[in-house]
Amino acid sequence: MSAPDGAAARLRRLLAVLTWLAQVGSAPIADVAARFDVDAPTLVAELELAACCGIPPYTPDQLLEIVVTDSTVTVRPGDQLSRPRRLAADEGFALATSARAVLEVPGTDPDGALARALAKLDRVLGAASVTVELDAPAALEPVRRAAADGSALDIEYHSAGTDRVSTRRIEPWRTFAADGHWYTDAYCHLTGGTRRFRVDRIHSATPAGPATQPVPDPPPGGFPADGAAFVPGPDSRTVALTIGRRALGVLEPVPLPEEPHVEDDVASVKVAVGGDAWLARLLLELGPDLVAVDPPDAAASAGAVVRGVLDRYGPERNDPRGP
Amino acid sequence: MAPMERLDRLERVTDLLLVLLDAPQPLSLREIADRVPGYPDPSNHDALRQAFERDKRLLRDEGVPVESARIDGPDQVGYRIDPDRYFLPELELTLEEQAALNLAVAGVHGAEATGRSALSKLGALAARAGLDVGSGGEPVAPLVALPMVDELASLPVLHAALASSSMVGFVYRGEQRRVDPASLRFRRGRWYLLAHDRDRDEPRTFRVDRISGLPEVGPPGSSSLPPGFDPAGTLGTQPWRYAEGEELAVDVAVDALFAGSVVRDVGAEAVTERGADGSVTVRLAVTDLDALVSWVLGFLDHAEVLGPPRARGAVVARLEAAAAHLDHLADAARPAPRLATAAERSAAERPVAQR
Repeated sequence: MSAPDGAAARLRRLLAVLTWLAQVGSAPIADVAARFDVDAPTLVAELELAACCGIPPYTPDQLLEIVVTDSTVTVRPGDQLSRPRRLAADEGFALATSARAVLEVPGTDPDGALARALAKLDRVLGAASVTVELDAPAALEPVRRAAADGSALDIEYHSAGTDRVSTRRIEPWRTFAADGHWYTDAYCHLTGGTRRFRVDRIHSATPAGPATQPVPDPPPGGFPADGAAFVPGPDSRTVALTIGRRALGVLEPVPLPEEPHVEDDVASVKVAVGGDAWLARLLLELGPDLVAVDPPDAAASAGAVVRGVLDRYGPERNDPRGP
Repeated sequence: MAPMERLDRLERVTDLLLVLLDAPQPLSLREIADRVPGYPDPSNHDALRQAFERDKRLLRDEGVPVESARIDGPDQVGYRIDPDRYFLPELELTLEEQAALNLAVAGVHGAEATGRSALSKLGALAARAGLDVGSGGEPVAPLVALPMVDELASLPVLHAALASSSMVGFVYRGEQRRVDPASLRFRRGRWYLLAHDRDRDEPRTFRVDRISGLPEVGPPGSSSLPPGFDPAGTLGTQPWRYAEGEELAVDVAVDALFAGSVVRDVGAEAVTERGADGSVTVRLAVTDLDALVSWVLGFLDHAEVLGPPRARGAVVARLEAAAAHLDHLADAARPAPRLATAAERSAAERPVAQR
């Protein structure tokens, strides 16, 4: 909650500026203003005000030593307001965990500046045992390099929706990890548009020269990188399922276009289905807790996939190695 | 602005902060008004009290530990800031390390605001990450999405409990638990607390997003893990080992398409055969056959349980039950939906998935 005159926000900024300045000693005003995202006149006014702050009797030796000239500002290190402050529990956790997560990204220097910073933080904040595990699929490195270089890749991609492996050329422009998986957003030459791919489903990636399509402009507020990882493709369709309420947990990892409707022991949910194989896998998991499928032909298509799996077990369906 | 406040409030609050930090003993409200310029005259006690309370709240909201203590004299309550609770011991991050932390906070989606306020307190904040590394000040697109402080308020509480070796109490699936926390682990998109459950005297793994409300934290040093406690042992990638019971050695063939990821999950030592086409056969020690069947069916026809017959039969039974059930549902002319009966459920040989 900030005060109506914004004193809290101004104090926060002033303390941040002084703590940083104490480490560098002196800096051009324009640089400080850019670093803290504030206009120069406001910054100068606040620094001049702070230069009058101190403790009784407010003689010059008891004031903060801040010298503002036309172009630079100088701060004496060791002043009370220029020392790093203790972090609240959530701040310490957020900072150290962000560092741990980025260190887990394949390609990050395990002995670099970030690792050294984290070691210092752990020493001061108390080293709690926290582990961030990120998947490291084989295709991650070539995909990230292609995104950084602006080049294209020929990939073999396994689609979970259709359970088919296809070959296509993509031009990745961004990779990110969300919900436990790595994704890449890329221009796809096979479909002629931007598609999101799961990197662990890319089974081979071969460099294919420079990219031909421009990288899209980020939307206001940046690219989303949250749970919105699943983007229903143009050929996906909506299927309504009626399931036993206690089986709702099965749908937990599935992004749902709307909240399930629960009445008594039965829940109604809509799912975006990209292919029969994906639906079959979900319906197999639901088992006898599945009460109805609308349209019913979706159940028939999923049933066909299930029979296909049964075929692998052969006509006798017993141990192929004999008794 | 009120006539009393001739001074910029920022100046008054900054002076107040410095005066309270400098005070060896708690200061009464009168002493504070005497030392910090800009407060209403002490003769107007209510106005003075109101102005001070506002400033105190502002400081506390900013995380400044303003302490109150009983003192002698008419005011009875005094205030000060303990420098040891306010300042961090020597941290001394280099500018390069600060830049790396700024990039990390910008690269992780889920705690940007909290991470930035941490950097600000350390004097390490840059308005735009990357400013120091010559990337032209371009904003960095988030690289890793982690559910963190914004979504899971329990996380920092558990983290603090770990750091101070405190035992923790919380409600989990409607049950009160008392645990000695061992570790926090993010895996496959979720946070887990690995801990020793005091009441059950067993290692347990808790999903942090299933903890109801905020955990209660005991005094520092109140947790004690049994000797030899292995937190890693409580969380595996092998759900077919979660149940306790007779162990069955099950052979599973996996096509080349998923061979790599399966071997990564179960370990290379489980591989008993490698096919020329890239497929593998793995032998798994299974205590929960239902969980194994679910896992294998996730690969559809890219994996096959070879044996023993009991395990293979369980897969076939599940598939046959599902095929019959789906055929039944595909018949749109059938009567109004109803829940599966107990008989059908047991025919399917499978309890509802435990997740």
